[in-house]
Amino acid sequence: MKENISKDQNGAFYIGWMAGAPKSFVRFIRKYLLAILSLVILLAGILALSQKKFGTGNFEFGQLTEVTGVYFSKPLPCIKVINGKDIWGNLSYLTIPLVGYGKHGAVGMMADIETERNISLNQKQLTLKGTLLYNDGKTILQVNKNDSPVIRISSAMVASELLPVKKELGTYNVKGEIIDPKCYFGVMKPGEGKVHRDCAIRCILGGIPPMLAVKNDQGESNYFILVGASGEPMNQAVQDFVAEPVEIHARLVKYDDWIVAYVGSKKDIKRFSYLQSRFANSVQYCAANCTK
Amino acid sequence: MSASYKAVGWNRQKKIYDGLIFAFCVVYLLIFCGLTLVFNPEVTFETLLIRSSSTLAVLLLHIILSIGPLCRINKKFLPLLYNRRHLGVTMFCVALVHGGFGIIQFHTLGNTSPFLSLFTSNTRYGSLADFPFQALGFFALLIFFLMAITSHDFWLHNLSPRVWKTLHMFVYLAYVLIIMHVMLGVIQYETNPVFVLILFIGAITLILLHLYAGSMEVKKDNIYFGLQKKGFVKVCTINDIEENRAKMFCVDKERIAVFKTEGKLFAINNVCKHQNGPLGEGKIVDGCITCPWHGYQYLPKNGQSPPPFKERVSTYDLEIEGADIWLNPVPYPEGTERPGVIF
Repeated sequence: MKENISKDQNGAFYIGWMAGAPKSFVRFIRKYLLAILSLVILLAGILALSQKKFGTGNFEFGQLTEVTGVYFSKPLPCIKVINGKDIWGNLSYLTIPLVGYGKHGAVGMMADIETERNISLNQKQLTLKGTLLYNDGKTILQVNKNDSPVIRISSAMVASELLPVKKELGTYNVKGEIIDPKCYFGVMKPGEGKVHRDCAIRCILGGIPPMLAVKNDQGESNYFILVGASGEPMNQAVQDFVAEPVEIHARLVKYDDWIVAYVGSKKDIKRFSYLQSRFANSVQYCAANCTK
Repeated sequence: MSASYKAVGWNRQKKIYDGLIFAFCVVYLLIFCGLTLVFNPEVTFETLLIRSSSTLAVLLLHIILSIGPLCRINKKFLPLLYNRRHLGVTMFCVALVHGGFGIIQFHTLGNTSPFLSLFTSNTRYGSLADFPFQALGFFALLIFFLMAITSHDFWLHNLSPRVWKTLHMFVYLAYVLIIMHVMLGVIQYETNPVFVLILFIGAITLILLHLYAGSMEVKKDNIYFGLQKKGFVKVCTINDIEENRAKMFCVDKERIAVFKTEGKLFAINNVCKHQNGPLGEGKIVDGCITCPWHGYQYLPKNGQSPPPFKERVSTYDLEIEGADIWLNPVPYPEGTERPGVIF
């Protein structure tokens, strides 16, 4: 029954609505606040410095750039522009996929412009106005209907060397992460992984073409535009696989500086675990070598 | 303690308290944002805002949840409890910045409404690893919102202390949701184990503090009073209670505080009508039993707050036999005057 009541607890009593707190309480709380301040400083420092490095992508927010080149509507809206000369003095080209404003693709908007002007823009030389975003050697142009993005349309025939150079690469299994290129190449940091999954799904469902980002062990990246077997959009089909490791089985076709992956169906996309794969490889390696 | 409602009943201690909250938040944000900009300069403004506010909100939540058990363990922490609701509202505002910008960043300008997008973008509800973690954060934010808007005493009185307290106990559900939100979100993205380690240390600290403080309460509640006569139980001797102080006894699941003042003993219910504070740990100040949590006051003879206040608690009968105090745990209706016993 005996309960120890310290002298201090008996003598001093804290009441919040009084002007001041007893000195013993003030001294104690000062020490606590000092400890909390140290914790605040320590945690802010540790958490800030422990974050993954953000990508070097760039989104020229608020800055409009005019781009002149040949517009292609398939396999996704893009504009092929001259990008200087290579080391042999030949003209080199850059294909810039188009995306819409916000979380929207450019297909609908470009179709609206064609309907309004009663003209097909496919394989026409255009001057487009939009916002550039770029990273890792890839460039994308955001076009917004409110900016009246089509400035000039040339009626002249496009030179044959400007048509896409198509090369069949064969059918492969490729491991990577399905991303929305708009966020990945510069609008958001991070633009990949679980933290960005909802946004990536919303962008892809809004019409931004899904891409497969692939990194090898040396950290080198490659990107594959994902379409259906006949080139149709497969934005809906990839919804459940976005922003997680997947392995796709697809026919790969190179169009200039982009590779398009023609995926037969949803069944050709499988979830993939790097951890399980490494474990399985280790088991295989051990089975083959450990007994030697 | 106030007889009418004001947005904030400012006093010197509240101003100091809020000033410190503000200063600590600014220090945290400056260090986090400054170091991120220096060592990770590719960060975007939106990400900086989302991350600095989220980490600050989680830190504030841990501090808030630790105050209750700390006060049970050591009364010197009580100044932290007095204005805890301002800390809670601050935490909600910081969390709202995180949640609000998260929804704007990830769900606006799409082909559906942002709130529909929040629940229908990632539909892997059947998978633990791929669970839509943003929905968890949204529900936690909703709980914090309800707590923040009802934090004023106006709502405490209108909802009744029991409903109000029950609502505010949902903070523990919100805490679990936040832990899951972090574990299934950023922890799966970041590769540095320091994030999961800090979260683990925080959760373990809170659990241990609550268990220790709870075990102290249980010990007090489980004291068995063997000697009984005519409905009275022998609880302690007169010398066990300090002048103007009380001892709390749990008899037949009733927590009762026995106060000693000016040669008399009084027994009232231990639970303050304001926020269930332990009146038995209070003190008699200016002739009134004063709650240690927020300073609510009651007269010892009838358990009523002095006019114009209207709070009332139950009173009980006491008897003295030699130096022993005997207590009848059957309560009188709240506010019933009892003469107390002279010793």
